[in-house]
Amino acid sequence: MEIKTNTDGSTLTISVSGRVDTVTAPELEAGLKFGDAKQVVLDLADVPYMSSAGLRLLLTAHKTMMAKGGELKIANIQPTVKEVLDITGFSDILNLV
Amino acid sequence: MTFAASKFAKFLPTATFAMAVEYLMGLSDSVICGQIIGEDGLSVINLMQPVFNVVSFFALLVGTGTSVLYAMEMGRFDRRRASELLTQGLWSALGFGLLLMGALALSRNAATAAFGVSGAVLSGAREYWVWFLPCAVLEPLSFYFSSMCYADGDGRICAGAYTAQLLGNCALSIPLTMRYGFAGCAIGTTVGHLMALCVLLMHLRREENSMAFVRHFSFKDTWSICACALGDASIRLCQAGLTLMLNLYVISRFGEGRLPVLAAVLAILGVSEAFDGVATAAQPLASVYIGEKNDRLTRRIMRLASCVSASEGLLLTLLLVAFPQLVVSMVGITDPSLADAARTAVRIVSLGLVGTAFVMLLNSYYTFRVREGLAVGVTALSTFVLPVALAPAAGWLFGERGVWSALAVSPYAAIGIVAAYVAYRCGRGVFPLFLDRARIRRSRVYDLVLDAKSICDVSATVGRFLGTRKGMDERKAGLVSLLVEETLMLVKDRNPGRRTHAEISVDWSNGVVIVVRDDGILFDITDADSTASSLRAYLVANLMVEIPARRNMTTTGFNRNMFRL
Repeated sequence: MEIKTNTDGSTLTISVSGRVDTVTAPELEAGLKFGDAKQVVLDLADVPYMSSAGLRLLLTAHKTMMAKGGELKIANIQPTVKEVLDITGFSDILNLV
Repeated sequence: MTFAASKFAKFLPTATFAMAVEYLMGLSDSVICGQIIGEDGLSVINLMQPVFNVVSFFALLVGTGTSVLYAMEMGRFDRRRASELLTQGLWSALGFGLLLMGALALSRNAATAAFGVSGAVLSGAREYWVWFLPCAVLEPLSFYFSSMCYADGDGRICAGAYTAQLLGNCALSIPLTMRYGFAGCAIGTTVGHLMALCVLLMHLRREENSMAFVRHFSFKDTWSICACALGDASIRLCQAGLTLMLNLYVISRFGEGRLPVLAAVLAILGVSEAFDGVATAAQPLASVYIGEKNDRLTRRIMRLASCVSASEGLLLTLLLVAFPQLVVSMVGITDPSLADAARTAVRIVSLGLVGTAFVMLLNSYYTFRVREGLAVGVTALSTFVLPVALAPAAGWLFGERGVWSALAVSPYAAIGIVAAYVAYRCGRGVFPLFLDRARIRRSRVYDLVLDAKSICDVSATVGRFLGTRKGMDERKAGLVSLLVEETLMLVKDRNPGRRTHAEISVDWSNGVVIVVRDDGILFDITDADSTASSLRAYLVANLMVEIPARRNMTTTGFNRNMFRL
C-alpha cells in the first residue's frame, strides 16, 4: 500500500493506492494524520478493494474531523468500493465527492 | 495439511479401529467357545457363520445405504430430504431386524437339521441360535446408528461404542459361557450389541448432533437405501459363498487334511475387512463433495484414501511375507508339513492384499456415487466369481500353490476387467472415479489455517483470479473477494485462540458458487438477522441480504456455508 499526502493551504489531500483489507488497514491508519487541517480529502482513486477494516478507518476519520469542526471528503471512489459503502449504508453518512 | 486431509485423518483411526473391532468381534465367539467348550464349541460357531453373515448383510445394507444417501442430501443442502432418509433408515433397520428375528426363530430347527450334525453340536447350535435372536434386531440398529454418527462427524462416540461392545462382549461372554455354555456366549454377544447401541444413542443428546427425525414413511426410500448399499453389503455374501466353495473344492481335490491350510488363507482374506476402515473414514467427506458436485475435492479425498489403502495393503503384505508364522500360529497349525504349506500359502495370498485394498475402496466409492452395479460387479468379481473360476483351473495346472495364486491374482484381474468395461462403456479417462474434467477446470479450492494474512491472501487471490483470468466483471469479483475475507475473518473472530481450518471452493460452472467450510465453533454465518456485535458482523449481515441464494448446514461436525452469486 502506498500513501501520499499533499497540503494545499488548509486542505490536506491523502492519496491511497492498493487494497485496504485487514492486513493493510493498520498501515493506512498510521498514515491518516490530519494535523491542524480543517479540510481533508481522502483520494481513493487507486483503491480497488476495501473491507470492513477499511470502513472502520473511514468512519473513525470522519468522526475525528467532525469533532474538531473540520470536514473529511472521500474522493474518486471506485465502483467496487462504493458498492461496499452502499451495502452498509455508509455512503449516506460519509461525505463522498 | 489440507482441510480434507485433517478431517480424513480425524476419522481414519476410529474407522480403522471400528473395522478391527468388527473383525475381532467375529473372532471372539469362536475363540471363547473354542477355548472354554472345546472343538464342539468351535464347530457350533463355524456352523453359525452363515447366520452371522446374513445379519451383517442386512445391517450393512441399511446402515451404509442410509448414511451415504443422507450425506449426499446434506451435500445438496437439502436437510428435509436428508431427515426423511434418516427416519426411513431407522424404520428399515427396525423392520429388517424384526423380520430377520422372526424368520430365524421359525427356521431354527429346519436350518440346524440341514447342517448335517448331531449330538452335542446340534443341541449347542440350537441353544446358541435361540439366544442369538435379539442380535438380529440389535445389530442392524447399532450399525445404523454407528454409520449415522460417522456421517454426522462423531467418530469419537463410534469408537466408544465399539470399545463398549468388544469389552462388554468379552467380559460377559467368558464367565457366562463357563456357567451356561452356548446360551451364555450368545447372551454376552447380545449384551455387547445393546451396550454399543446405548453409547451411540448418546450422540442424539450432544450439541454437535445435526440428525433430526421427522414424520415420514416410504417403501420407495427403503428400496433406494438398499439398492445404494447393495455393493458394499454384498461383500459379506460373496465371502460366505467363497468360503463354502473353497471348503468343498479343497476337500474334494486335496482332501480334508488340507483344511487347516485353507483356514490360514481364510484368516488373511478376513483381515482384509480392516481395509474398509479407509473407505469408512473417507465416506462422510466424499459423499458431501459428491452431493455438492465438487469433483475437484472428490478427487482430492479419494487420492488421499487410495494412498492410505495402498500403504496399508503394502505394509500388511510385507508383514505377512516376512512373518507368515503369525497367521499359522493364530489358526493353531502345529503339524510341521502343514505349517510349512500354510506359510507358503500365506505368503502367496498376501501378495493380493494391495489389490484387495483397492477393490474395497472402489466398492465403497461406487456405493457413495450410487453406482450399485459397478460396486456389486467389482466385489463379486474379486471375492467370488474370479477366485471360484480361476482356483480350480490353477489348482489343476499347478496344484495347491496354484489355488492360492489364483486368490492373489483375482483382485488385480477384477480391477482390470472393471477398468476395461468402463473404458468400453464410458470412454477412456473415466475410470476409476467418474469425474467431470470440465467441471474440475471450472473450479478452484483454497485451504488455509485462519489468520489475518492467509485470509487476506486468499481473498485477494480469489478476486484476482476471477477478475483477470476468468473475465468476471469487476463488481462481482470484488464482492466474492469481500465475502471471502469477511466471512473467514468473522469465523476467526468467533474462535479466539483456536487453530481453525477452512476450505473454500469456488465453482463457476453455473453462476458463481462459493462454499466455505470451517471446523470452528458451529454457527450460522448466513443469518442476516443475527446480532451485529462488530462492524464486520454488520457488514456480513448486510452482505447476506445482497446474496439471497445462500445456505448454511452443519455437516459431519463442521460449518458449511454456500453462496450463489
